[in-house]
Amino acid sequence: MKHLSLLAVGLMFSAGVLAGVADQISVQDAYVRLAPPNAPATGAFMVIRNNGDKDAKVLRADNPASKITELHTHLNEGGVMKMRPVASIEVKAKGEAVLKPGGLHVMMIDLKAAMKEGDVVPITLSFDDGSSKQVDARVVRPMAAGMPAMEHKH
Amino acid sequence: MSERILIFIAATLALLIAGVALMWQPEMPERPLPSAAIAAGGDFTLQSASGPVSLSDFRGKLVLLYFGYTYCPDVCPTSLAATAEGLKQLKPEEVARVAMIFVSVDPKRDTPERLKEYAEFFHPAMVGATGAPEVIAEIAKRYGVFYAEQKVETSGGGYVVDHSSDTFIVGTDGQLVGKMVHATPPDQVVVAIRKYLKIN
Ligand SMILES: [Cu+2]
Repeated sequence: MKHLSLLAVGLMFSAGVLAGVADQISVQDAYVRLAPPNAPATGAFMVIRNNGDKDAKVLRADNPASKITELHTHLNEGGVMKMRPVASIEVKAKGEAVLKPGGLHVMMIDLKAAMKEGDVVPITLSFDDGSSKQVDARVVRPMAAGMPAMEHKH
Repeated sequence: MSERILIFIAATLALLIAGVALMWQPEMPERPLPSAAIAAGGDFTLQSASGPVSLSDFRGKLVLLYFGYTYCPDVCPTSLAATAEGLKQLKPEEVARVAMIFVSVDPKRDTPERLKEYAEFFHPAMVGATGAPEVIAEIAKRYGVFYAEQKVETSGGGYVVDHSSDTFIVGTDGQLVGKMVHATPPDQVVVAIRKYLKIN
């Protein structure tokens, strides 16, 4: 009987994981910036929206195009830009996290092969409850005016 | 008598309104240098893929000067793309009077050849140049540029470089006249270039 209830709890828990935070998340305007020739790393940017009632955290991002993927941000200290890894990216309930140049980004380090404009990179975001979500990010030439994120409307 | 007072009051009010309107102009992302800093800057000679390149080679042109490095994954591409986009919005006769130099503060990894390919990715007229570490350090000091290597476990070569992200504007006479903050949008780049082309 005790085992049975544990099993039930276990089942409920795994069901909860399946219908996890990821289901409450929608991602818009995901893109990877085309790296200039010889550049070994680039960034992926997107707007992560949390439609749920609970705060969510992105703990990890993975992608098949680079050897290493990290979550990063930039600190602007008197005009000096410092890029630093972050442990997680918080997405408040009913809020959004904006990943954009000069700020939060998914860092793609040591690209396995040169990318082309228009390529699609699948990026998997993993959340603090163990759920995850795959986002398709298109490779875009760095053109400040034409960055897809600029077209994002609330 | 009272009519004159009324005219006086009206004139004072008009002046006040004009003054407030001037004060209320939203802050531009482009910052004129404080007068003390105008003395800084000056000529330098660095190496590009097609040989030595000096700031004075561009006398008569407005020069946009950016300090960064090609391994820079985000800040340099953002700034350079915005500036290049601004250059593309200029009329041909205007762009003919503007030069852009990308100075690498990472000469260990950035060869002149590598810099050429990198700079031209953003704009065909962008010149990439670097020099010996002491030379770079001396120029950076004169321009008030900060840069520092930061060890990173993972990234190419094991370090990234924190660096200033302003784009310097050098007048047609070689004098440092202003700077644009990181990621100044292309239309503001155009505004700044036209302003200084007019002054010079
Ligand atoms: Cu980064």
